[in-house]
Amino acid sequence: MKKTFLILSILFFLLGCILVYQNINYDDKKLHVVICDVGQGDAIFIRTPGGSDILIDGGPDDSVLACLGRHMPFWDKTLEVMILTHPHTDHLTGLIDVAKRYAVLVFGTEKIVNPSSAYKELIKQLEQNHTQQKFLYQDDQFIIKDGISLKTLWPTQEWVDQNSAGGNSNENGLSIIELLSYKNFEALFTGDAQASDIEKIESMLGVIDFLKVPHHGSKSALTEEVLDILNPKIAAISVGDKNKYGHPTAFILNLLKDKNIKTLRTDQVGDIEIISDGKVWKIK
Amino acid sequence: MDGQEISFETAILSQPQTVGSQQTLTANYQNQSFDGLRIKIITSRFPELNYGDFVRISGEISNSNRGLLMYFPKIETINNSSSILQSGLRSINILRQKLISIFSKTLPSPSSSLLLGIIFGIKEQMPKDFNNNLRTSGVFHVIAASGMNVTLVGGFISTFFAFFLRRQIAVGLSILGIIFYAILAGLEPSIIRASIMGILVFSAQIMGRQTLAINGLALAGVGMLFIDPTLFSDVGFQLSFAATFGILYIKPLFKTKNGIVSEILTTVAAQIATLPILLTNFGLYSIYSVLVNGLVLWAVPILMMIGGIGAILSLILAPLGKLLIYLCYPLLLYFETIVNISGKLGGILIIKNFPWQLVAGYYCLLVSALLIFKRKS
Repeated sequence: MKKTFLILSILFFLLGCILVYQNINYDDKKLHVVICDVGQGDAIFIRTPGGSDILIDGGPDDSVLACLGRHMPFWDKTLEVMILTHPHTDHLTGLIDVAKRYAVLVFGTEKIVNPSSAYKELIKQLEQNHTQQKFLYQDDQFIIKDGISLKTLWPTQEWVDQNSAGGNSNENGLSIIELLSYKNFEALFTGDAQASDIEKIESMLGVIDFLKVPHHGSKSALTEEVLDILNPKIAAISVGDKNKYGHPTAFILNLLKDKNIKTLRTDQVGDIEIISDGKVWKIK
Repeated sequence: MDGQEISFETAILSQPQTVGSQQTLTANYQNQSFDGLRIKIITSRFPELNYGDFVRISGEISNSNRGLLMYFPKIETINNSSSILQSGLRSINILRQKLISIFSKTLPSPSSSLLLGIIFGIKEQMPKDFNNNLRTSGVFHVIAASGMNVTLVGGFISTFFAFFLRRQIAVGLSILGIIFYAILAGLEPSIIRASIMGILVFSAQIMGRQTLAINGLALAGVGMLFIDPTLFSDVGFQLSFAATFGILYIKPLFKTKNGIVSEILTTVAAQIATLPILLTNFGLYSIYSVLVNGLVLWAVPILMMIGGIGAILSLILAPLGKLLIYLCYPLLLYFETIVNISGKLGGILIIKNFPWQLVAGYYCLLVSALLIFKRKS
C-alpha cells in the first residue's frame, strides 16, 4: 500500500509539472504555424494566439497524429477548423485518423464528388461526430476572436461549377488556396495548386511573410512572376525523403534560391514551426 | 499454389492490423484437397474490417518466403449474424471500439496507442513510425497481450470477488474474466497461449492441485496446434512459446534476488530463446534492446494497473476514469522518449536470409546446454 501511494504521488507530481510546462509552451498568446513532417504529402497545423486549432490537410497516413501530439497540449482534443484542400490521398488519409480522435467543429473542403473509400470513411467519421461541413469558395472566411482570419482565395464558385460539372474532378487545379492573417503577419497555404491557379487570383495577393510551396515543389508549382508578387521571406516545402515523383524539382529550388528566399524542407528538417506575435516572426 | 485464383468464405477470428495505408489479416482457407492453409491478406485500409466479420475473399494467391500471400483481393462482408459465436464476438468488438475511442480521445498519439497496446494488446491504432521504433528497439512484446496481462486480470478479479463470494466461485469468475479479456484483446496466439496457461493455474486452485508451468505451456501448445496446425508457422505463436520457454527454463539458471537484475534476466532469457525467430522473420536485432527493456519494463505493470482500472472506470464514471488515464501520461512520455531515442540511435544488426539450418542448429545447442545444466542440478 505504501508503495502504491508513493507511485501515485510521483505520478500526480509529474502530471502537474507537465500541465504547467505545456501551458507555458503552447498557450503563449502567439500564433504557431507548423508544417508537419508527414512524408510525401501535406499537413499544416495552426495554433492561434487564443488557443484555437486549425488543420489544413492530413498527410498520407497517421503521422499527422504525432505532429498534433507534439504541438498541442495533451488535454486539448478539439480542432476548431479542419480543411481538406483537395481529396487526394496524400492530403486526405491522415484526416480520417484525426477525425477519429479529435472533436472537429467545422470541416471545409471544395465541392468535389469523390467516390474513394477513404473519402467516404472521412465523411462517415465526420457525420458520426456531428461536425459541421461546408464547401469553401473564394472570399469565405473563418474569423477567430483573437485576431486570426483564414480566407479562401481559390476556387471561385463559378470556376467549380464550370470545371467540375457534377463536382467530379481529379485535377490538382481544383485545390483550395488559403490566406492566413494575424495583424501584420500573412501566410499562404496553397495545397496542390499550380502557378497558373495563383496567377488567377493575382489581384487578391500582395507581399506575404510565409509561403507553403504548392504541390510539394513540382515543376509547375511556381513561376518567377508569382514569386515576384508574393515575395515571401520564407518558404516551406512539404515533401517525403526520396519520393518517387522527384519532388521538389531543381527548377523550383533554383527559383527560390535566385530570389534569396529562405527555403525549408520537411524531408530535411522535420516539422517546420513559425511563431509570430503579429509583428515579427521567427523559426523555431 | 502461386498465381492460383481462389474464392472462399471465412470468419475473421483475430483482429486485422493496420499499418500506414494498409490492413493485414490472416485467413484460414479450407479446401477438400488440403487441411487448410494460412494466408496472409494485405488490403487497403478502408473499409476497416473487424474480428467477428464474416467475409468472402476472392483473388490471386502468391507464394512468398514468409508463406502464402494475397494482395488486395476482393473482400465482401457477408452478414450472418445468426451465429452465436459471431454475434458474441461482435458485441465484444463494440466494447473494444468504445475503449479505443475513450483512450484516443483522452491522450494524444502515440501515448494513447501505447497504453491501449500495453493494457489490451490493441495494436491497430499504433502510428507507423512509433510501431517501427518499438520493433527495432526490441520492446514490441510489451504491446502484445500475454502472461502479465492474464495474471493481472485473473488476480484482480479473484481478489476482488473473494471479499464477498466463496473462493471457488471467485476463481471461477476470474477464469471467465480471462476468457473475456482474451477475446477483447483480439485473440492473437500470444494471448490464447497465456490464457490457457492462466486458466490452468486458476482451475488448479479450485481443485486444490499444483500445476507445473511447463505442463501448461506444453498443453497450450499441443491444444492450439491440434485445433489449427497452420499456427505453427505464425510468428506470434513461435515467439510467444519460445519466450515463455526461455523464461521457464533459462532464467532459473541464473540465481538472483535483486529485483532489477531479475527483470533484466527475464529479458535476456526470453531473447536467448527467441533470437533466431526474430532474425529469420524480421532480419534485425538491436544491440540496445536489453538496455531499452531494462529501462522501460518496470513501468509496464504500473501502466497496466492504473490504465486498466481507468478503462473500467471510464465506462462507469467517466471523469474519474479519465483522471487515471491522464495519470499514465508521464510514464507513457518517458516510455516513448526512450523508445524513440533508441530508434534514432540505431545500433541495429541487419541479417538477411538467416538460413533454417542455423536456426535448427542454434536450438539443438540450446537444448543440449539446458539438458547438461539440468543434469548437474
